Amino acid sequence: MSVLADSPLVLVGWDYRQTPVELRERLAFSPDKVREALAALRQEGLLSEGVILSTCNRSEVYGLTGSGLEGRDPIYALTEFLSRFHGVPHEDIESAGYRFRGTDAVRHLLRVAAGLESLALGEDQIIGQVREAFRLASGAGATRAVLHRLFQKALETGKRVRSETGLSSRPISIPGVAIELAQKIFEDLAPRKFLILGAGETSSIFYDLLLARGARNIEVVNRTLARSEELCRRGGKAYPWEELAARLPHADVVISATSATTHVLSKETAQKALAERRGQPLFFLDLGIPRNVEPSVGELEDAFLYAVDDLQEIAERNRQERHNEIGPAMAILEEEIDKFFSWFGALAVTPTLTALRQKFETIREAEFDQRLNQLTHIPEGDREKIRLMAQSMVRCLLRNPTDAIKDEPDPGRRLDRAEVARHLFGLDVRGE
Amino acid sequence: MMNSMWGPTSLSIITLLLYIAAEGFSIAHLRRNKPSYGKATYGLLLLAFVIHWFALYLGAKAVRAVPYHDLPASMSFFAWVVILSYGILVLRHREGTTGPFVIPIALLFLGASLMANQGGQMVIKSPKISGPLFATHVTTALIGYAALSLSFVLAQLYLIQNKQIRSRKLGVLFSRLPALDVLSRLHRTAVIIGVSALTVASVLGLIWAKINWGTFWDIKVLFTFLIIAIYLFTLFPRWLGWGGKKIAMLSVTGFMAILFSYTIVNLFISHGHSFR
Repeated sequence: MSVLADSPLVLVGWDYRQTPVELRERLAFSPDKVREALAALRQEGLLSEGVILSTCNRSEVYGLTGSGLEGRDPIYALTEFLSRFHGVPHEDIESAGYRFRGTDAVRHLLRVAAGLESLALGEDQIIGQVREAFRLASGAGATRAVLHRLFQKALETGKRVRSETGLSSRPISIPGVAIELAQKIFEDLAPRKFLILGAGETSSIFYDLLLARGARNIEVVNRTLARSEELCRRGGKAYPWEELAARLPHADVVISATSATTHVLSKETAQKALAERRGQPLFFLDLGIPRNVEPSVGELEDAFLYAVDDLQEIAERNRQERHNEIGPAMAILEEEIDKFFSWFGALAVTPTLTALRQKFETIREAEFDQRLNQLTHIPEGDREKIRLMAQSMVRCLLRNPTDAIKDEPDPGRRLDRAEVARHLFGLDVRGE
Repeated sequence: MMNSMWGPTSLSIITLLLYIAAEGFSIAHLRRNKPSYGKATYGLLLLAFVIHWFALYLGAKAVRAVPYHDLPASMSFFAWVVILSYGILVLRHREGTTGPFVIPIALLFLGASLMANQGGQMVIKSPKISGPLFATHVTTALIGYAALSLSFVLAQLYLIQNKQIRSRKLGVLFSRLPALDVLSRLHRTAVIIGVSALTVASVLGLIWAKINWGTFWDIKVLFTFLIIAIYLFTLFPRWLGWGGKKIAMLSVTGFMAILFSYTIVNLFISHGHSFR
């Protein structure tokens, strides 16, 4: 691509890889600070468009260079601004993070949106954070044609990578794996009945997770009733330990996370429960160490038993599988980068003005010359004069829009005007 | 008509090629969840389905009867109904991942039909079998068999998914196949349609047999009732106290009985259902 070293698209950023958490904390932006920084960047003419992405793992400023740089290197000007804005010594900022321009900046944003730059490869949260950063910048009036298009592209690409590759399809956390397994037995977990054994930290994590997933029937059985009642304060029912065998046949999923040193659920108890369930499956998640559920329960028909080691092994395998999907994800990214730059290249001033002139000339030839040829009574000499007149008229009509685009000092506004001209005169050839 | 370029045989060959292409895209869609592969699968299937219908229509028009009075024609119609059932399943349950396993049934039967019909001309041998009662009997029977074929595929998928969950081998199929309870639900829908259609077909067949043969009795009738009984059991798992795995295995047994009835009984035992 031609838009490289002198590209008006710039990015400066600091993430968990290169930057210690202390510095990241100082470079973080609250939503108000984002608005304030974007306003100042545009006011000083450093950027004509800008988006700030600030999460716990990264702070990044994306922008289209402005007209107030006065020959300064835009990246240096940006880091210098951020140093002033955050009150962090410039040398500290300069020594960490990354800076990209043109294709590299676009590639980085698309990688971020796809989850390729995340701590947990392929995680989903980042796409929401990119969307929020874009929304915030748009709300502050800091995005126009280019960044609007770029961030839309990033969000689309993030979605495409997630749907067309296995980068995010398999969970890599233990609760995530447990939920995925349960959902392969019972598709909709919300109406299912859950029985949690124990009321400790792990039980509490799963209780919250189930509530977040919309589970409506949660029962907790614990040796100390008061603790299970405490856990059930946001919904669900607490039962004393003695009720375990009686509650078991009513459950679809049993999550056991007690600190007992022996099995609390025997094969015999499970067998009785399954007999009462008349063929309905029962999913046991044994998260206890040592194991709470007798391993032979897994041999029973209609019983599915997974212990914490099994979940860990699956999570690790899924992590490896996600790494294998980086190649296909990058292929999608490169395709989308090409599409973006074919639009961006067409948006550049010279191709737009050439296309505009060609369009007018085509109309002149089609509408004027052809009709003139039909008027045979006009002598050839006069016809030539009329033709020259038409050409001169086209030049006059084009002068104002051409100057308005060409002479705009702010690069962002210049591209904006080119985009408007392409839109108004139907010049779009975007290859998409 | 039969030998023209756009005759039933040529159209059936085009249909076969379209089914093959649809199968390719559906496998690709299963492997990589790319929406364009899914759209290509459904588009090709729809096109094949329409052309297949046209081929059946031309065949029927040529002999002025329903297009399943001989074995090749019945196999072609069966393939068409399998795709119809799959379409209903996709529209009703929004579940298309079973495509790669269902389309081969249609492919198999259409391919066999084309091979059995090489150079053959369809001829109606008896005016009795061109009446509306006979037509409805055969149509409902084939709809029933097609739905039960679908239930066979779903039962197999249930067993595969069940095995994967138990063995902790959670590969591509695990993530792309539906949950066990969804497969059970789909299976149940297919069995209900299959058993209902087969029951209607049997009753109509009995009436037709009484009128034309003077008797209800045919060995095929016994087999059909046995098949219906097997499938009826799969609809009452709680009454049996059976889990999904046993029900799926019973369903597979039912399908084996269908295959036996459709091949051995039709060809060698029952004179009334032999297409001779």
